[in-house]
Amino acid sequence: MRDKPVRTFWPWLLIGAVLLYAGLLLIAPIAAVIGGAFEDGIEPVLQAIAAPDALVALRLTFVLAISASVINAVLGIIVAWVLVRHRFPGKWFFNALVDLPFVVSPVIVGYVMIVLFGRTGWLQNFPIQLAFSLPGMLVVTVFVSLPFVIREVMPVLASLTQEQEEAAYTLGASFRTTFFRIVFPAIRHGIIYGVVLTLARALGEFGAVAVIGGGVQGVTETATIYIYRSLHDRNDVGAYSMAITLGLVSVGILVVMNWLRRDSHEKGTQHVHPTE
Amino acid sequence: MSILLNNVSKNYGTQNIVRDFSLEIESGELFVLLGPSGSGKSTLLRMIAGLTPLDTGEIYLNERDVTALPPQKRGIGFVFQNYSLFQHMTAAQNIAFGLEIQKVPKPERDARVNELLGLIGMADLGNRMPSQLSGGQQQRVAVARALAQRPEVLLLDEPFGALDVKIRAQLRQNLREIQQQLNVTAILVTHDQDEAFELADRIGVIDGGKLLEVGSPYQLYRKPQHRFTATFLGSVNLLAAQRNGTTIHLGDKQLPAPPQTDHLAGKSVEMMLRPESVEIALAPDNLNGYFLGSGVVESIAFAGALERATIRLPDWEQPVQALLNPDKARELNIRPGDRVYVGVRDFHLLPLN
Amino acid sequence: MQAALPAKAAARPHLPFGEWGLRAAAITYLIVMIAIPVIVINIEGLRGGLELFITDITRPAALSALWLSVWTAAVMAVVNTIMGTLTAYVLVNYRFPGKRLLDSIIDLPFAIPTLVTGVMLVLLYGPQTLVGGFLDQQLGIRVLFAPPGIILALLFLGYPFVIRAVQPVLEGLDLNQQEAAFTLGASNWLTFRRVVLPAIFPAMITGGLLGFARALGEFGSIVIVSGNIPMRSQTAAVYIFGQVEGGNMGAASSVSVILLLVSLVVTLGVDYVYRRKSYA
Repeated sequence: MRDKPVRTFWPWLLIGAVLLYAGLLLIAPIAAVIGGAFEDGIEPVLQAIAAPDALVALRLTFVLAISASVINAVLGIIVAWVLVRHRFPGKWFFNALVDLPFVVSPVIVGYVMIVLFGRTGWLQNFPIQLAFSLPGMLVVTVFVSLPFVIREVMPVLASLTQEQEEAAYTLGASFRTTFFRIVFPAIRHGIIYGVVLTLARALGEFGAVAVIGGGVQGVTETATIYIYRSLHDRNDVGAYSMAITLGLVSVGILVVMNWLRRDSHEKGTQHVHPTE
Repeated sequence: MSILLNNVSKNYGTQNIVRDFSLEIESGELFVLLGPSGSGKSTLLRMIAGLTPLDTGEIYLNERDVTALPPQKRGIGFVFQNYSLFQHMTAAQNIAFGLEIQKVPKPERDARVNELLGLIGMADLGNRMPSQLSGGQQQRVAVARALAQRPEVLLLDEPFGALDVKIRAQLRQNLREIQQQLNVTAILVTHDQDEAFELADRIGVIDGGKLLEVGSPYQLYRKPQHRFTATFLGSVNLLAAQRNGTTIHLGDKQLPAPPQTDHLAGKSVEMMLRPESVEIALAPDNLNGYFLGSGVVESIAFAGALERATIRLPDWEQPVQALLNPDKARELNIRPGDRVYVGVRDFHLLPLN
Repeated sequence: MQAALPAKAAARPHLPFGEWGLRAAAITYLIVMIAIPVIVINIEGLRGGLELFITDITRPAALSALWLSVWTAAVMAVVNTIMGTLTAYVLVNYRFPGKRLLDSIIDLPFAIPTLVTGVMLVLLYGPQTLVGGFLDQQLGIRVLFAPPGIILALLFLGYPFVIRAVQPVLEGLDLNQQEAAFTLGASNWLTFRRVVLPAIFPAMITGGLLGFARALGEFGSIVIVSGNIPMRSQTAAVYIFGQVEGGNMGAASSVSVILLLVSLVVTLGVDYVYRRKSYA
């Protein structure tokens, strides 16, 4: 029944409906943005991208995204391990907590930061300046992209029964050795996929960083904030060009995601999407 | 009621899964399709059910050509190896499912479900979910579900494969009883020779997608036509020999040819000796059957009700396997290394090709 | 062999401290990153007392924004639950031209920055474009700066949720169960309704709820597409943003609390359904 070529009528109707919906929903906008950006040719686009503040914004976005990914990767593995392998009261609560960044509005996230660390905030004398600064933007970026590594690693870890680890222990391996030589290679795929998702999310963050960062040109302006500002400044080409750039990066990430997903499918390691 | 398969075949790409399969099954018969893994027997069963399309041939159920019909319309019941009960329905609901589709009114439906639950010995367990039932119980529900609509044919695909040995034996019994009670034609696919012997009216031996031979368990065990059948059903000793005139020449010995083997006259044959027909004695005069030679005992293995002995005879490639009942074993009291005399009471001939 | 057993003969040789250290790190991380913000918002929101809270919430602009967020997210959730399930079904069961492409681009909304989504939709449905102009002039449907635009943006970013939730369940379904239904006389449709659907229903619900919760808080694409006209096309998230920019912390907090509450309830609901589904 899987993958069967369609010989009767009704399934085609279904397939057609799905393709139509997906096409209108997903492909049409992509076509539109490519068309819109290159309306006046390639030159303006390239120029707009090369503009200094655009480049600065891009660089900032990448720095934040990569830093957040590294932090979330390391801590994500730890959290995933604890949630899968440990038993303690209230575990279900923390498990549910992990899903929260998925659903909390980024604006609220940024706002909380202000409440806590703003000039009149609760922790206004916090040693590190977190409001309207890079560290603050990093914190919120970590927050919004937090669940991905955890959620990708957990099912893989769960399917890796403890017996393999126990076998290693009986052979004399320490916890560290076991983790790096037995566990890690098995969950490597989940980690990579999770990091890719984290990266994508962090790159695209807008609401939270806009609120907490203040959008100061050249200092706390990310690529997404740049687009927003450009639209307001009626710099359409600038906005569209940056949108295309980010879009291209996203497509690149998408390609990697697909490749990883298919790869793991063939190898039989189960990928569970963040919605699970 | 009968089943007729005519030159059925199926390929996957360039691989022949089932080849030129022709078979007729009698009404009310419990027919067992016996073969090793990968022999195509499950595929064949699924083709009879309509779950897998066939490439060539026709299938007739009760003189109806069902070759082009989907499984819904063939009037068959199917029992899968892994039960495949509907996990979100109770046992009773599972059994009732087919009746609901036939729009049987509720009172009748409930009566029939209860009847079937009684038949499988689970009268009080109708409200349990599959996850609350043991493997054996789930399989029984699967059988009941398949029988609810009173199908013309019951098809079972290695139904007991996933169960414990003891449960298997019990379920085999139950199945036989139910099948005979309801007089429903059944085809059971298995690789377990014991199962085939116990359940079958007739057995069809299949290997490499081809139907090798069909016969009663007795026929196939004692007088197989194919070497494969001989070796697949129980242990066997095979010796190359020559049949001339009315005698068998085995090395320097001669034995009278068994009756009804004239078609093998002048040909090279294989003598088939079942271990239980092999005789062992401490002196050649004590042998009742034909003398085969003298040799050294290689091993003796205790097997509960019997002892298995292997004896190495000179000029024979393979050691001879023999079965000793407890009395005989005690009487002979042989150990590995002892010299014994080997004879055979009766044997069968297979063509050597 | 006489040697005494070495100390590391224990099956779990790592120190208890190591275990506890991990657990502590994990919990601290989660609490600092997630629990605290939630608590903070709630406290801040109720700081001025319950009365002030109610006043802030019942401001027309706030109510309108909250309602807009909820109903557009709900519409999106329903549509995408249906279309997402169909898409997953079609992807798992059939072979057809364009299947690989479809499977590849489904994750696009996960990968694309929401702001870029907004830009794309503007370029597609803006009044000066073919599509947008047509819809506006011929059919009187304003896409941008109006709820339809919001729903479109939400449809885009919510599409993968149900698909990716349902797909693995469909793939893992015991094929034999469906075949058993066939042999019992059930048509394709009946089998889907009575055998497949009950099995994927929990996944449909969790995917739909998650998409709903995600859509409630959506900001980046909406801010571009909706024009933020108060009372007309301003969602709760955008409203909060506006209030923060304008310095009205009270209003921002109050509405944040409501939004957060709804998200929390939905997340817990998802967790509940997820833990209850046990159809092997």
